[in-house]
Amino acid sequence: MSKPRRRVHEPVPGAPLVEARGVEKVYPGGAKVAALRGVSLTVGRGEFTALAGPSGSGKSTLLNLIGTLDRPTKGEILYEGAAVSRLGAEQLSDFRLRALGFVFQAYNLIPVLTAVENVEYPLVLQGAGPAERRREALEALRWVGVADQADRRPDLLSGGQQQRVAVARAIVHRPALVLADEPTANLDSKTGAALLDLMERLNREHGLTFLFSSHDPAVLSRARRVVRLQDGEMTGEETRGAP
Amino acid sequence: MLRLAWRNVWRNRRRSLINVAAMGFGLAAIMFGQSLMRSLQGQLVEKSTGSITGHLQVQERRSEEPKMPDRFIKNPKPVEAAASADPRVLVEEGRIHMTGLISTPATSVGVLICAVSPDKERVVTDMSRYVTTGTYLRDGTKDLYLGEKLARRLDLRLGEKAVLMAQAADGSMGADVFRLVGIFKTGSESFDGQIAYVPLKPFQELLGRPGQVNNVVLKLKDIDDADAVRDRLESRLKDQPVKVLTWKNIDHEILGVQAFQDAILDIVLIVVFGVVALGILNTQLMSLFERVREFGVLMAVGARPRWVMRLIVTESALLGAVGTAFGAAAGAALIAHFGRTGLHLPVGDAFSYFLPFPAVIYMRPSWGAHALACAAVFAVAILAALPPALRAGRLKPAEALRHV
Repeated sequence: MSKPRRRVHEPVPGAPLVEARGVEKVYPGGAKVAALRGVSLTVGRGEFTALAGPSGSGKSTLLNLIGTLDRPTKGEILYEGAAVSRLGAEQLSDFRLRALGFVFQAYNLIPVLTAVENVEYPLVLQGAGPAERRREALEALRWVGVADQADRRPDLLSGGQQQRVAVARAIVHRPALVLADEPTANLDSKTGAALLDLMERLNREHGLTFLFSSHDPAVLSRARRVVRLQDGEMTGEETRGAP
Repeated sequence: MLRLAWRNVWRNRRRSLINVAAMGFGLAAIMFGQSLMRSLQGQLVEKSTGSITGHLQVQERRSEEPKMPDRFIKNPKPVEAAASADPRVLVEEGRIHMTGLISTPATSVGVLICAVSPDKERVVTDMSRYVTTGTYLRDGTKDLYLGEKLARRLDLRLGEKAVLMAQAADGSMGADVFRLVGIFKTGSESFDGQIAYVPLKPFQELLGRPGQVNNVVLKLKDIDDADAVRDRLESRLKDQPVKVLTWKNIDHEILGVQAFQDAILDIVLIVVFGVVALGILNTQLMSLFERVREFGVLMAVGARPRWVMRLIVTESALLGAVGTAFGAAAGAALIAHFGRTGLHLPVGDAFSYFLPFPAVIYMRPSWGAHALACAAVFAVAILAALPPALRAGRLKPAEALRHV
């Protein structure tokens, strides 16, 4: 069992939660593809922000860079003012485990674990005891409304249920930022809308910051701030009041 | 991690079972091979020492041919006293082994004459147990004990007499008449057709060497004490014109056979280990490619690369543990079965030309070697997981998540 891990970055007082500063990403290969060309973006605490743009616009790349799953070719990712993109692979894992939650388009639950075991996993990695992590995981499942499915494996859950479990896994360790890449893309419109309701409620009631991507206008209409990307560049930004 | 690893192992049940079976059968085969070789070797040593050689022999120091000592110990009493004083010695017996001629009205045949003390020889060798007709030798007589084949060649029946001739101390040919009291059959061509047993005393008189022997044979309570007893005797007999030989010095060809068999066994073991290792490596690599995306998820959630590597090694260790347990159980069952029923081997027939060697091998476990084989199979399972684990440790989360 791993021991509880220490904070790996030193927050700068007054700094925004996340800042992408002049970020570029070029994928190596025969024809080098520039997925992002100098994007700068700031996300504050408590935001409910969407990255909008067509397929290939760089949304997922930007989310991956902000989520420290990938490193920028140029520029920096700062978290609370600290440049986390310079950390080593092991430290980045520790950082993600403390600070970030992920929701993927394809849910990406571990198929051999039950719903509650999937949700427990970040706590297992943090070194929490069995009773504590079970309690926290069940609470997270209650928040997302699938506590009654706790002991079922992912293949026995509907897409909507699986994505709710994925959301529970993303928030169980109370991260400051939840990153969701096209979270509703695999869901029908009704289920997708219900998932957005859930994310909104978690944002409102628990103060969780959400940064998600989508190309669906119905989904984007729910965001309080929409950042538009096109061909790897930021092309605009809209801010709306709280719904 | 253990729970996740265990479930991952059984995620693809059929593949894991095939892998466990491959490991298990491989290990069982290794254990069977080890046991067979050790049993064969053990039986070979047992039969060789129990048919003629004994565990130790004291011979005249200048004697050159250990199987047929060409010089005599003039006074074997200090040797016998030193031997009988050692509590590890079960029995000591002065004997003469030499070539001679046996004649009947029908024919004359060159033979190996074994002049023994019948009561002690009964303990040292099994020859008295092979009697088929008549009785074994008795002390204080001029009895003759022959193999079936030799008796037939000589056209000699129970109660009939034969003349034994051998070179006496003064260089002349000594001769005396002995009466056939027993016929034996060991199944060995050499023993049944070429050896004549007589009591020691009349043969010493025939040679004109009263009280002399050309070997004092020792049977120990435990054959493994042979080297230690030799060292002790050598130091106690350093003033005597004798040398002490263990069965290994006398039956050195057995050691050659053992070394040859061990070498073959080693080659077989390496091949089996290689097959087992490749099987696990294949499973782990397939499993890795199927789960690249999942490793990406684990890393995204916060699992360190080293943690993912440990997960893969743990999965392999669990698979290895199950395979080893299955193999050890199957191997032990196989050995126990053939320990009870015996295993007929053509090699037994081959050995039986030289020795009374039964073609049936009763298998005995060789726990030390088996434990080593189990540990090696388990270690191979872990080693085979290292290349996939290292690959997984180098995965970049974003690339892994894009993997289809």
